[in-house]
Amino acid sequence: MDKLALYQERYALIEKAIKLEPVDRVPVIYMGVAFAPRYMGMSIAEFCADPEAALQVNLAAMDRLNGLDGANLAGGGRIAAALTPLWMSHVAEPGRELPPDSLWQVQEAEVMTHEDYDTILDIGWNAFVGQYLPRVIDPAEFGAAMGWTQANAGRVQQLYREHGYVVVCDAPVMVNIPFEPLCGGRSMSKFYLDLHRMPDKIEAVMEVILAETLAQVEGAPDVPVGIGGTWLGGWRAASALLAPKLWDRFVWPYYVELANALIAKGYTPVLHWDQDWTRDLARLRELPAGKVILNPDGMTDLRRFKELAGDRMAVMGDVPASLLVAGTPDDVYDYVRFLVNDIGPYGLLLCPGCDAPINAKPENMEAFVAAGLEIGTLS
Amino acid sequence: METLVQKLADLDEEGVLARVTDEMDKGTDPLQIFDACRQGMVAVGERYETSDYYVSDLMLAAEIFKQVTAILEPAMVGTVAETRGTVVIGTVQGDIHDIGKDLVVGMLRAGGFDVHDLGVDVAPAAFVSKVQETGAGVLALSGLLTIAFDAMKATVAAADEAGLRPAVKIMVGGGPVDETVCRYTGADAWGQSAQAAVSLATQWTEA
Repeated sequence: MDKLALYQERYALIEKAIKLEPVDRVPVIYMGVAFAPRYMGMSIAEFCADPEAALQVNLAAMDRLNGLDGANLAGGGRIAAALTPLWMSHVAEPGRELPPDSLWQVQEAEVMTHEDYDTILDIGWNAFVGQYLPRVIDPAEFGAAMGWTQANAGRVQQLYREHGYVVVCDAPVMVNIPFEPLCGGRSMSKFYLDLHRMPDKIEAVMEVILAETLAQVEGAPDVPVGIGGTWLGGWRAASALLAPKLWDRFVWPYYVELANALIAKGYTPVLHWDQDWTRDLARLRELPAGKVILNPDGMTDLRRFKELAGDRMAVMGDVPASLLVAGTPDDVYDYVRFLVNDIGPYGLLLCPGCDAPINAKPENMEAFVAAGLEIGTLS
Repeated sequence: METLVQKLADLDEEGVLARVTDEMDKGTDPLQIFDACRQGMVAVGERYETSDYYVSDLMLAAEIFKQVTAILEPAMVGTVAETRGTVVIGTVQGDIHDIGKDLVVGMLRAGGFDVHDLGVDVAPAAFVSKVQETGAGVLALSGLLTIAFDAMKATVAAADEAGLRPAVKIMVGGGPVDETVCRYTGADAWGQSAQAAVSLATQWTEA
């Protein structure tokens, strides 16, 4: 079968899984930003510095793993620049601040100040971000990285199609709840204290950010080409970390607003949720059925998800990173069997939880794909 | 002192600090105030274990306790607070994340442990040397990234090589750490939370 026909077959399969429709095979999805260069023998420093090399090595890793249906996110671009606005923090790069073949690391520190909250209220979020980013990244470098991403967005999607792969999060818009960039910029411990000490001000700041983010969504193209998945992440906003009164006020309402706005534009929010969100899984029922994908990292209890919201949304995950690093191929097979039998088979897209880490064992990633194709084939 | 215990258990930051200052002004023994705050922290830990409190609450509690300690410390110079044991802790080599580790440090100190915090990106030899120097009975290894697993394993191996075990018990913890990782590193146990670290250290030092 030629690659385009393969792409179309896989696209139909993934679309059915997202809509919780019956499938004859569970799709197998790749996610492994740092795994790809290590697997293919490229230094992490080169991966970080060369956006084209980062793209090509992702595709090469997927080809070598042989049998994947698609990718959670497309590769390519400069990872440190991509992570910076998500975390509002400096990202230390290998080959620069770190050894050449080590992993990049977010340097979480109190860069954003209490005074910055007032600035956001005065001038707005986007204007503030423009002023703030030079504190954590060189503006010229950031501009060049974003320029590459924008200039190559169409070509990147085309390359994935030519290789026969469907990119789930292919939407031209990506937004986040206000909690995460504020938490990253302030640093987790400081921001959590702010939530206790100045809740009204934080809420006011979040409302400013939300209004501008909703405007960004409103300005995005109406009808996405492709799956239309859009990554709507969360890590420090997780249920296991926050008291319910904080989560109910500062986290969930923003997910609801943003998810509904994205859905209204024809997109499919992908709740890329790291950490444990089990406590609040029932709240997922407040989102429109069949329009959202849960993308957990292995820490959220998927059996509870299945009970509470499994009839309303697909799940993409969640082979734990720890298993891919410290487990064996047999462990991976067992976990994939659990996912297919207990969580799927419908409404399931098999995928590494969060992403396959830099030191995932190659044999475990190969077992993940083989197990997905073997155990996930239903007829 | 019951009110002080309750105020800390309820995470009433202003109330705790006001009461501590008030007790100091009245000439109350600082060790007695310190002990009441420790009892409050024990109550916080219990509420965490029953899912009435979450990590955000532990962080606030640790912050309040830190401020209490800063107020009491000048008056406690020369006095010896009873410790439940000595713990050496750090984020392992190659990992620079310290938030989880710092929370564990705060909760262990509030729990009455003498804690030696080596910071982040700590080499196996540095852990071994500090355990030998302090005579610690517990070694706590933290890491947020999966690259920390091999560094944890190397640190456990270094502790074995130095003949520290089984006298020294080793725990591992941090975001992705679970039972599989614990087995991989060869540590004695793993903890999912700062409170779990306190429980493990207590169990080991009381054994």
